[in-house]
Parts: sequence; structure tokens; C-alpha cells
Amino acid sequence: MHLLLLHERKRRRMSDGQRSPTSDGQIVVSGLTKVYRNVRAVDDLSFTVEPGRVTGFLGPNGAGKTTTLRMLLNLVTPTGGQATIGGRRYADLTDPLRHVGAVLEASSAHKGRTGINHLRVICAAAGLPKSRADEALALVGLTPAAKRKFKGYSLGMKQRLGIAAAMLGDPRVLILDEPANGLDPEGIRWMRGFLKNLAAQGRTVLVSSHLLSEMQLLADDVVIIAAGRLVRQGPVDQVIGSMTHGVRVRVRTPQADALTAALKDGPATVDVDEHGTLLVGGVDAPTVGRAALAAGVELHELTTERPDLEGVFLELTAGKAGIR
Amino acid sequence: MNLVRAELAKVRTTNMWWILALIYLPLWGLTLFFNYVQTDQLVNGNLGQVPEDQADTVAAVALPDNLAANLYTNGQFFGLLMVMLLGILVVTNEFFHQTVTTTFLTTPHRSAVMAAKLVATAALGLIFWLVTTGANLLVGSAILESVGVGARYGSAAWEAIGLNALAYLLWAILGVGIGVLIRSQIGATVTGILLYLGGTIGAVIVISTLAARFGDWINNLQLLVPSLASSLMVTGAEIPGNPPRWAGAAVLVGYAVVAGVIGTLTVRRRDIS
Repeated sequence: MHLLLLHERKRRRMSDGQRSPTSDGQIVVSGLTKVYRNVRAVDDLSFTVEPGRVTGFLGPNGAGKTTTLRMLLNLVTPTGGQATIGGRRYADLTDPLRHVGAVLEASSAHKGRTGINHLRVICAAAGLPKSRADEALALVGLTPAAKRKFKGYSLGMKQRLGIAAAMLGDPRVLILDEPANGLDPEGIRWMRGFLKNLAAQGRTVLVSSHLLSEMQLLADDVVIIAAGRLVRQGPVDQVIGSMTHGVRVRVRTPQADALTAALKDGPATVDVDEHGTLLVGGVDAPTVGRAALAAGVELHELTTERPDLEGVFLELTAGKAGIR
Repeated sequence: MNLVRAELAKVRTTNMWWILALIYLPLWGLTLFFNYVQTDQLVNGNLGQVPEDQADTVAAVALPDNLAANLYTNGQFFGLLMVMLLGILVVTNEFFHQTVTTTFLTTPHRSAVMAAKLVATAALGLIFWLVTTGANLLVGSAILESVGVGARYGSAAWEAIGLNALAYLLWAILGVGIGVLIRSQIGATVTGILLYLGGTIGAVIVISTLAARFGDWINNLQLLVPSLASSLMVTGAEIPGNPPRWAGAAVLVGYAVVAGVIGTLTVRRRDIS
């Protein structure tokens, strides 16, 4: 990790006064649309991604996450709209690897090629010194497997190699598609620290994922899409807080009707889920407990439920089928 | 130049090139043996009763200069096949192993990537040719000495060797074109081999049948079959009744240019997902 910091310091020194204001690493997607035959895979999508923060890009399977990222990277041609990185389209970047690093799929190296050679080929094509390949491997902890062929790599090692490839040009913008796929808990924790650290250095980090609990730990901002459209964008806390219900109290009791009646006069709203559990909104747990005591209602469970990203996500994307 | 270096590194860091070379070696030996027997028979042997309409052809082939040219371009039939397969693999490997994403992320200018692939494959084709020709010159002159004709390096021989180089170059490019048009590795390889082998044999049968029926001018149509055009191009001799050699070269150049241009244009527009 200190290697990265070293690079960052060097970069800062070099960049003082040189970097134009447009190259600040902001990603702007505006009106992006992709139509395949009769499916609008991405539909007039607009959002921005800020530097210095980890942004989670969320959506159900088939929501258009991957297509959006691929349009951003000039791999797929948009039907309409445009996407820029630091004010320029990816295709217009000179030395793109020095600006943007991308990890799109874990299995994107020749199976018979060694890890180090995979990186060296990219260095050659990008005009980067060969030594960057060794540095990048060290950065992701793959040095011991440098001379092993790609087909012998575990899924986690493949992900790390992908990240190493993305870091070759020491880019200010990192774009990762489902990087946590196939990682073990240790690998996921490593990835979280790695990406947070990159953001802390002022880089832009855009990560697509469907692992919502992981995203809640990792992301500062989220962009949620469903069926190709933007559903919600903002800081994680704000998005969670914006939901219709705030904190709810979960109550299990054999006398549900009696408790509902006892709560009826206050500000409480009472819902019943499919197991007969009461979900009480508008009041806190002590209030519910007090009301139960006063009414002589027997309680088996009394829990405060805070909305999490998963709940918010499911609520926001409910009914917007991922598979179209 | 960076891109060409990268493309060459891609080939060098996989086992593809030496597998092709390993397949090629025994085939080269086989054609050499065949050509040795043929040369020996043409010079010393009794060919038996030569049909009258083929007498001219045999006479032309048996000229010492043409015998030399034939030996110095030995292995061409399979060599061109290998070089074409190399071109196909250079492209289809990228799709098969999904490395094309990384390639186009590194270089968003896809035409430049395609140009680099064409240049790198052409260079590899020429290396194939260079090694083959070196071996042919050594063994070929030994054969000529042994059959009593004597080694010769006249202008006819050098002309054949030069045209042979052109053939290796063009088939490499054709391979790249086929690879782009047919992304599936198996599909492209099978199509390429069929086009090369099946196309050759089938076309020979069809054309000779038609020629017998409608007259000799049909023979000129063999120009349109890529592999026949290339073999015409490098026949050591101007064989009576065959189209001129430069025409074969022109047709092959045409195919290579069309394959390269269509391939590049296709890749520029394609969504990589």
C-alpha cells in the first residue's frame, strides 16, 4: 500500500499547476441510452461520480450496469447521450491507461499466458515501462504467482490480476464491474481497504455490485438503477434516510390485536408481515414496550429495525423486473 | 510501433507459434520428400507415356531453372496454411480468451490495433518464409546436385522465392481478415482450412470439368480461387495454357486488401460485450 502512496505523492508533485480543471476525474453520464433490437437496455440515464469517494453502482441483474460501464469505456457505442471522464470521452483520451483503470471481467487474460506476461503485454501496448508490471503485481500481492499461467489462478487471483492491470498506468479514475465476485471473506476485506484507500488519495472509484451489505460498508455514494433508468443517486446515508419509513420496531406477540388496539391512539402506524409479526412505525421501542405493559400484552420479541441499503434497494427496485 | 511490439509479445508469450511450427515441420519434410521424388523422375526417370496435351507442361516443369524454383519454394502448400491459421488465431484468440476488452481499453483506436495485428502477423508470416526458404536453399541445392542437374540460383529461382514471400505475407493478412469476419475460433479455423484445402481441391475438379466441357478459357477462372491464385503465382514456370503469374499475385493482393479493410471496418463498429 505504501507503494501507492509513494506514487500518489509523486503524482501530486508532478501535477501541481499542470493538470487542467477538466481532468479532475469526475465522471459525467448524461442522457445515455442503448437500444438493442427491441430492448432499451439503458434508457436516458444521467448521473455523476465524484473524485475522492467510492461510488457504488447498484441495480438488479439485467438493469444495464455493465452496458453503462462499457459505454463509458468506449467498448459499446451508445444509441444516444454521452459519458465523459474528466470532461473527455474515453475514446478521446491520450494514453487512456494513465487516466482510467478498469476491471470488467475476471476471466480476461489468455489462459496460457503467465500473469506477469499478461501485464507486460499491456505495458507494451500502452507505452508504459515494463517495471510497472512488477510493481502492479506487488501492489495486489500476486508476486509469488507472477510466473504461473492464468489458467492456474483461482477466481480471487484473477480478480487481483485484473486490478493490477487497471493500476498499471497509476490512473486517477478506477472503474470496477463486480470486483467482489468470487472473492473469499479475506479477499473482500482486502478489496474494501484497497478501494477506500484509493478514494482517500483523491481518486475516483466507481464500483458496480449486487452485494449490498458489502456496498454499505464500502461506498460513500450510491447510484441505483433499475430497468436501465436511474432510480436514486446520492450519499449512502441520505439515500437510506430518504425512504418513506424510517426506523421501525419489530414486535412478536401472541396478542397482536390487543397491542394494535393499544397503539391505535398514538402516532404509531402498525403493519403486519406474512408471519404475523407487527412492524410499528412512528414510535420508538420503549414506547411500544410501555404500551404493551399497560395493556398487559405478552411480548416475545421487541427489536428496533434500522433500514439498510438492502431494504432500501429492494423497495426502490421492487416491481422493476431486471430481466426484460 | 508499441502496438506491433505488443502484438508480437502476445504471440511470443503463448504456445500457439511453436505448436504451429511443430505441425509444420513434418509437413515440410513430407513435401520435400515428394518434391525430391518428382525432381528425380523428371530428370532421370521414365515418365512413361505422357498424354499429348500435357507434354508442354511437363517439358516446362522439367527445365532445370524451374526444377530449382520448385524446390526452393518447397513446403509452400502447408506453410501458407500455417500462416493463415496464425492470422486467424491472432484475432480469434482475443475473443476466445476475452482479452479484446483489455486490448481496446488500452488502445481505444481500434483501427490502430487492427493495423498492428496485420503488421505483426505479416512479419510472422515472413519469418516463417525466411526459415523455410533457408532450409529449402540448403536441402534443395543438395537435391539438385544429387540428381545431376547442379544447384542453380538464376533469376527464375529468385523470382519464385520472392513471389513465395509475397504469398506468405498475403495469406497471413487473409487469415487476419477471416478471423475478424468469423469471431468464433473454431468457426474461423474450420472455414479457413476448408477455403484453403477444400476450395483448392474442389475448384480444381470443378474448373477442369468445366474446361473439358466449355473450352480452355475456363482455366483462367482458377485465378479467382485464392489458393490456386497463390500457387499459380509461385509456380516456377510460365506454364503454357495457364494465366500469367502476375495475375495470380494481383488477385491475391486484392483478396488480402479486401479482407483487411472489411475486417478493420467491422471491428471499428462492433460492440464489445
